[in-house]
Amino acid sequence: MSDWTPFSHIVVNLARQIRPGEIAFSGVNSTLAMLACLLAKRAYDFHFTYLNVAGGVEPVPAKIPHSSSDPALIAGSPAIFANEDFYDLCARGRLDLVFLGCAQVDGEGRTNVSVIGEWKSPKVRLPGGGGAAVMMPTAKRVVTWRTEHTTRTLVEKLDFVTAAGNLQTVVTPIAVFQKREGRLALEYRNPRAALDEVIRRTGFRFDASGAAPTAPITARERAALEALDPRGEFAAAVRA
Amino acid sequence: MTLVAGLRAAAYGVPFQPVGGVHGSDLAALNGWQKIRDPYGSGKEIYVIPAISPEVAVIHANEVDEEGNARVLGSPYWDHPLTRAAKRVLVTAERLAPAGTLAAQPELTLVPGFMVEAVAVVPRGAWPGSMHPLYEVDYPAVESYLRDEPGALEAHLAAAPERNRYG
Repeated sequence: MSDWTPFSHIVVNLARQIRPGEIAFSGVNSTLAMLACLLAKRAYDFHFTYLNVAGGVEPVPAKIPHSSSDPALIAGSPAIFANEDFYDLCARGRLDLVFLGCAQVDGEGRTNVSVIGEWKSPKVRLPGGGGAAVMMPTAKRVVTWRTEHTTRTLVEKLDFVTAAGNLQTVVTPIAVFQKREGRLALEYRNPRAALDEVIRRTGFRFDASGAAPTAPITARERAALEALDPRGEFAAAVRA
Repeated sequence: MTLVAGLRAAAYGVPFQPVGGVHGSDLAALNGWQKIRDPYGSGKEIYVIPAISPEVAVIHANEVDEEGNARVLGSPYWDHPLTRAAKRVLVTAERLAPAGTLAAQPELTLVPGFMVEAVAVVPRGAWPGSMHPLYEVDYPAVESYLRDEPGALEAHLAAAPERNRYG
């Protein structure tokens, strides 16, 4: 039996998307992606370059901030690679992996961070893309995540298309989707969730052939997660 | 990033700025952004963002001198394109630098004084935000400010550490 929690399933599976030698980036309002990058630094032996929206290059933060844009994320950084620099790096095709949040994602891997409802009379006005429309088509791979896996977040049709392009992976408390032939397909499911449950809670149709239970969390991943969140504050903020 | 493209257009003194990406986003139609074909023959279609020139840019600096030269430590975020795109620049700063001292490390000056119209020395002026390396985000203050209840804004304004603790 697996002991994945919603929190650990998201953070560890985000970290598992990072490949050796890559340049990876986490942005604003992306605490779980920030934790994933810091976890990968602790739990995996390969090198990758971690950049963040605070301007940090390979930071060694003395403490883990609540905000993923906190200047604590430049501690230990040998350079300030500020906003203009990392956006331009992405636009010229040099960012390998970008973590971009979303409110809604559709079956083609497009995202909405702009509005729920009609633009002119919205039910909810969202914060906006923060560069997503530029980064998603120009980054080599984009990974997104949602703490809420429901038919209102993983949708057949977006209320608004904020960004489209190279989204490759979607991670939730119960599933990992990877894009195959232009559509998101189920790659892994949390062993605590049956396939029927994943289908019922997902608004878009998806291919589940070849889907496997998520491989168990390793001892090093678990130790890194505990070191990053010793009092369980970040975990408590993620509701299933 | 499209916002920065607009600021860059203004800073460069041109009517629009090409930008990477945007393809497939509803933001293009919503904002009326146009695509142009690369006139040099690559065949690529590139979005161009119209210039954005703010009437006023206000930035917060670590130090400012009486000439208006403003030193920013840590990440400049968007201060550089913002101050170049705006028609007027105002600076608030944590402290007044003694005359002539910024010249010791001119590369730390983000805006030279000739571009700055007015300055104010406002210790803790970034509160409840952070000011590297002097103070961190005041998360409890941000949370109480966000409360959707009567008096939240008034309480936030009354807290004003830049006035109450140093005034």
